[in-house]
Amino acid sequence: MSLRIEPGEAVGLVGPSGAGKTTLLRLLNGSQRVTSGRVWVNGSALDSLSRTELRRVRAGIGFIHQDLCLIPNIRVAQNVVAGQLGQMSLARSIREMVYPSRRLVERVYALLERVGIGEKIFERTDRLSGGQMQRVAVARALFQEPTALLADEPVSSVDPARARDTVDLLVRISREDRLTLCVSLHSLELARAYLPRLIGIRDGRVAFDRASSEIHDDEFAALYDLNSGTPDA
Amino acid sequence: MTLPVARRFPFRTPSLVTAGILAAALWGYVHLELRLGDLVPGSGGVTVAAEFFSRAVSPALVSEADFVPSGTPPLLLNAANAALLTVGFAAAAMGLAIPMGFVLGFFASTAWWEEDPAGARSRTLRTLRRMAGPVVFGSTRVLLAVLRSVHELLWAVLFLVALGLSNAAAVLAIALPFSGVLGKLFADLIDEAPRSGAHALRAAGATNSQVYLFGLLPLALPDIIAYMFYRFECALRSSAILGFFGYPTLGLYIRQSFSSTNYGEVWTYLYALVLLVAVFDVWSFGVRRRILA
Repeated sequence: MSLRIEPGEAVGLVGPSGAGKTTLLRLLNGSQRVTSGRVWVNGSALDSLSRTELRRVRAGIGFIHQDLCLIPNIRVAQNVVAGQLGQMSLARSIREMVYPSRRLVERVYALLERVGIGEKIFERTDRLSGGQMQRVAVARALFQEPTALLADEPVSSVDPARARDTVDLLVRISREDRLTLCVSLHSLELARAYLPRLIGIRDGRVAFDRASSEIHDDEFAALYDLNSGTPDA
Repeated sequence: MTLPVARRFPFRTPSLVTAGILAAALWGYVHLELRLGDLVPGSGGVTVAAEFFSRAVSPALVSEADFVPSGTPPLLLNAANAALLTVGFAAAAMGLAIPMGFVLGFFASTAWWEEDPAGARSRTLRTLRRMAGPVVFGSTRVLLAVLRSVHELLWAVLFLVALGLSNAAAVLAIALPFSGVLGKLFADLIDEAPRSGAHALRAAGATNSQVYLFGLLPLALPDIIAYMFYRFECALRSSAILGFFGYPTLGLYIRQSFSSTNYGEVWTYLYALVLLVAVFDVWSFGVRRRILA
């Protein structure tokens, strides 16, 4: 597989379950090692980096996980601050997680306002609704002040209206902040409506990679077609 | 009809374990020649037992001794003082055991180092890093096992022989096995906590210690706190029992009063211990509810 994503681009990953979308995203931030080949991020090959360097690269990439991966029994503000741990010393992170400075709280509040849940800042995270928790996950990723946002099926657990809102939020924020965005999505309509470039993945290979307006319905049908390709169940 | 899947539920292991326990129990009964008849006291025993238990409803309020040396504090004051010292020994021991348990528990848990695929440049360094985790984990687990396999009373006997009757030795005698138990439990709770939050923090560039502190510890903390309170209660009982060796806790006076057959006094001290544990329980219940809500 060979891919290139330019800075500031917004890309959608589509394809059936098990095609390798999550694996691709995990390779992109060094959560998973390549067995062969190479991943370059901002000009550095991930497998050649030391631990500290890799941490720095990770700190610059926001990742929104499929099941959100928030810590349920701490405050919303603490979950958001946790996004920036990669840029803090141990001593500072303890201080800011336990007694956050006023400046930090103000920054967290501004960010939460931006994603639409400012009033929830000191709420316990597991008291929020699914849609609200999703916004906390987005805020945590943004709090890293990343240059790129990766999102793995970020809307798989909410209803279609919420899903639209969240994808809209991701696309809008990455455009405003000039972030590179790479989102994997189940819903073709959403992907087509919001993302200018789509990469279709099937069996770990790129099936197509083009502007979403140029992709024909037949190609989508072939991507999800159960009868062609290798049966895996 | 034949099913194309496993034929039955996997009950084999549980039933084997249950059968093993039953067999061991049976062996115990036979080998130790346990007889219900042995639980019927002789006539002398009945008298003593009746005398002792009859005082349960009338614990002593003043000293029952025939001769009370001048300067001896009144009984109730003495009981209160002994109860206070019982708390003192227990608290001092827990004050040592909790931080020791946290440190040991950190090194005895695997969740924070196991799954980091991040590497170093050189292959040797990577291999060394991969080995460091299991080596530290294994040796800490052994240390924890040693600490808690020796009971606090046994530690107390050892220290008594080596150091004489010193309060510091009594505190250490409780603190050592308790730190072993706490360390093992903290480690297990950390490792059982869901790891998704920890994965997310690692993906955002957090270090191992940050992943431990903010990705795993918060999830295990409610259980850790509940268990710390329970161990504190155990420490109170151990501290009281250490009095049997001569430390000025409730156990000392229970033993003295018992051996001079002042059963009313024994009950006074026993009730002091019950009251202590009950008060502690009420307090810890309140604290836990406030923290965990």
